Amino acid sequence: MITNWLSEPSLTAAILATLLPFAAFILIMVFTRKYPRLSAGLSIAAVGISLISALFLLVRHWHLQTPLEYTGRWLLSGDVAVPFGYLLDQTSLLMLSVVATISFLVQVYSLGYMAGDAGFSRYYACMSLFAWAMMSMTLSPTMLQLYIFWELVGLASYLLIGFWYEKFSATEAGKKAFVMTRFGDVAFFLGLLLVLVHLGNLNVLEMNGPQVATRMSSTYITIAALLIFGGIIGKSAQFPLLTWLPDAMEGPTPVSALLHSATMVAAGVYLFGRLFPFFSQSAAAMAIFLMIGTVSMLLASTMAMVSRDIKQVWAYSTISQLGFMIMGLAAGSYFAGMFHLTTHAGFKALLFLCAGVFIHSFESNDMFDIGRQGGRRLKIPMACTIIAAAALAGLPPLSGFFSKEVILGALAELNNPLWLAAGLLGAFLTAYYTFRLIFIILFPRQSGAESESGHGHDHGGYWVMGWPLIVLAAITVLLGFFQGALEAFFSGQQGIPVAGAGHHGWLPFAAIGLALGGVLLAWLEFGRQGADQVGFVEKIAPLNHLFAQRWYIDRFYRRFMDVFIYGVVSNLFTRNDKKVIDGGLDGLSQATVETGRLVSLLHRGMVQYRLLTIFVVLVFLGLYFFI
Amino acid sequence: MIVPFNHVLILAGLLFLMGIFCVVARRSLIMILLGVEVMLNAAAILLVGASLRWQNLDGQAIVLFVFAIAAAEVSVGLALIVWAYRRTGSINPENYNILK
Amino acid sequence: MTIYSIIFYLLAILILVTTGLAISRRDMVHAVVYLIFSFFGSAMLFYLLGAPFLAVLEVIIYAGAIMVLFLFIVMMLKVETAGERLFPLSQWLPAAGCGVVYLVLGLALVAADPGRHSVLITARAEPGAFGQFIFQKHWLSIEIVSLLLLVAVIGALLLARRAKKDPARRGTIEGEL
Repeated sequence: MITNWLSEPSLTAAILATLLPFAAFILIMVFTRKYPRLSAGLSIAAVGISLISALFLLVRHWHLQTPLEYTGRWLLSGDVAVPFGYLLDQTSLLMLSVVATISFLVQVYSLGYMAGDAGFSRYYACMSLFAWAMMSMTLSPTMLQLYIFWELVGLASYLLIGFWYEKFSATEAGKKAFVMTRFGDVAFFLGLLLVLVHLGNLNVLEMNGPQVATRMSSTYITIAALLIFGGIIGKSAQFPLLTWLPDAMEGPTPVSALLHSATMVAAGVYLFGRLFPFFSQSAAAMAIFLMIGTVSMLLASTMAMVSRDIKQVWAYSTISQLGFMIMGLAAGSYFAGMFHLTTHAGFKALLFLCAGVFIHSFESNDMFDIGRQGGRRLKIPMACTIIAAAALAGLPPLSGFFSKEVILGALAELNNPLWLAAGLLGAFLTAYYTFRLIFIILFPRQSGAESESGHGHDHGGYWVMGWPLIVLAAITVLLGFFQGALEAFFSGQQGIPVAGAGHHGWLPFAAIGLALGGVLLAWLEFGRQGADQVGFVEKIAPLNHLFAQRWYIDRFYRRFMDVFIYGVVSNLFTRNDKKVIDGGLDGLSQATVETGRLVSLLHRGMVQYRLLTIFVVLVFLGLYFFI
Repeated sequence: MIVPFNHVLILAGLLFLMGIFCVVARRSLIMILLGVEVMLNAAAILLVGASLRWQNLDGQAIVLFVFAIAAAEVSVGLALIVWAYRRTGSINPENYNILK
Repeated sequence: MTIYSIIFYLLAILILVTTGLAISRRDMVHAVVYLIFSFFGSAMLFYLLGAPFLAVLEVIIYAGAIMVLFLFIVMMLKVETAGERLFPLSQWLPAAGCGVVYLVLGLALVAADPGRHSVLITARAEPGAFGQFIFQKHWLSIEIVSLLLLVAVIGALLLARRAKKDPARRGTIEGEL
């Protein structure tokens, strides 16, 4: 494979796409730390070429029928051979394109956002690291390679969340993110080991293939699926590991746009899609996934309803939408989850980038502050925010509407109407909290001193930040109409059971109606002249507290850690260290000293002790000679 | 027919043990010498018994020499003790530890 | 169970008891006197075991001369015996420990002896025959022991003489002697 990589254009494109950002990372870290503009140029050039390669691959293999696999042998241990390389099929190519596009746009945006920052080169190095890790992860042919790059993506996230490491809260948030996702990854690895034991290898195509059912009993498949889903819970911030994502907003806003809305947290959903045939073998596991997705979606929506921080609202919204995607996938429709993944990447990144412009201009994350300081006077960000918000709420003809429809359709296919009701409730709440934020910014209450410094920086920086917004807005508007093309694209995907498309004619109208209802409620409470801008939930103090405290999940974790981990486990280990290990060694040395003291008695010069010694020796001699 | 030879052995052993005890555990030089005498006596009993067992007069000859040597040793030893007592004023062996 | 064995056991008990008492007396005069009794018992034991000459020698030399010498010395030295514990535990315990080990080993050895059931037969070494035997077979040892006794006499005399207060030669061994 290595020798003729130039002759295969797909392989060339894949290698360029994944390895160029890595080369950029190394070059920046080693050579160009002192030259910020050169570093930025290297990184953007690398990811630009990755984007071109990704789009090239997507177009070239639009009608792919069988997956393309390029592998070399990396590890040989007994009869386990671990290959490394690239797997090109519909899922990975689409995800690669999404990642490359958003990475490129965010890196261009960061030129303006992070201008003047002391760690500019380090920022671009970490961005390149992330791009390398994420793209290699999407193209992995085996679960082991995927796991390695999964962890590398977590590392990049940690580095970027704690980017401003002088702030204690940022480093704490980075640590929390890493540890929580690591916790999920332990379960992930256990699941992989279980599969490895039964199947003999971790090849993705084989795991999705028909032999799995013959080699693993259904209980094992369920257990392995649940364990692997643990990794998804960690990475995609689902219940119960969801509290790291709001804290991760400590990082710079472009980081939030890239990692924590569009790509990294979507890696969990991507994994679900990657192993969709494997997971489909176990109906019990899929039911549990559905439950977890629903709970996450509803929980996060309630938390977003009472938040004042603009980035936190979008963070909760991300958790909620990821839950929604998982609901779609767990309901049995592969296309639903993947389509919503694609559209969500577009409009959520757009929302975050617009929020970044607001934060950069007004130095505040609080939405009331932004509104008061004249946020609505920034035209392009405001317009893009409204477009993206409408997409998020599911209003036609934006892309979000189409993808939500597919998911709701999949939920309607299920026997239990509870799931569909939950999905519709989620749609209502999404529209409500999204437009709550829009109206607070659009119609501020005490618009006393509107600061004139709306455009804080020079127009050059503003334009650099501006046109990625426009590109993303265009994607948001247009992507919905490609649904048919994408569906045809995915129909060639191996192993996907064809979802029964029952026709529920009333469903789109119900969804639109609920979304408009949410918008109306938000208008009534926030947008109207004379409204007091306090939500109906915020008026109920206990509910307000519950949602604001993230349903006390963090408090529960804190208590659990203090009582169990610190109180019991580490207490036990500390005591063992002090009493048993240290105490044993100290006791040994004490005993030696005491023995020495006893023996030194013989040296006191007492003739009688010497006689005693003679006597004892004689006894032993007698023993020796006569026995 | 007197007794089995083992009984003589046991008697001599016990006596020897008592002699050792007196030497090791008494805090007086004179008692040390006394213990030595007890040990010598035990050895003498054993030798006479052995001589009777094997009907050989060599054992008794040895005992005769043991007596003579014991006498010589006691006289010199006691002279030494008196001399040491005059030098240091004590017959407690704990005070004679400059050789440690 | 002949008369001789009864005599033997009685004598054995006498010897053991008196020796035990001797080593555990605080007053040294008592200890010496008990030891004299023990030696008398030993002498009778020698007579039983067929060595009448040695029995007599034991009484004359051991009980008569050596123990009397001990008595002289004990009475000459002023020994403080009041107030101290006889056997403090730190001295007594190691000795007792070793003693127990010795006892166990000794008994084990004795019990394992293949010739243990051989019974002593009464016999008697006539003093005349004994003397002839000694001077014929062990004449060299006799000469050496005589020399040893001479050396002992001279040494004891020298050691026990009071030092001549010779100022010029004080501090040396010759000055002390």
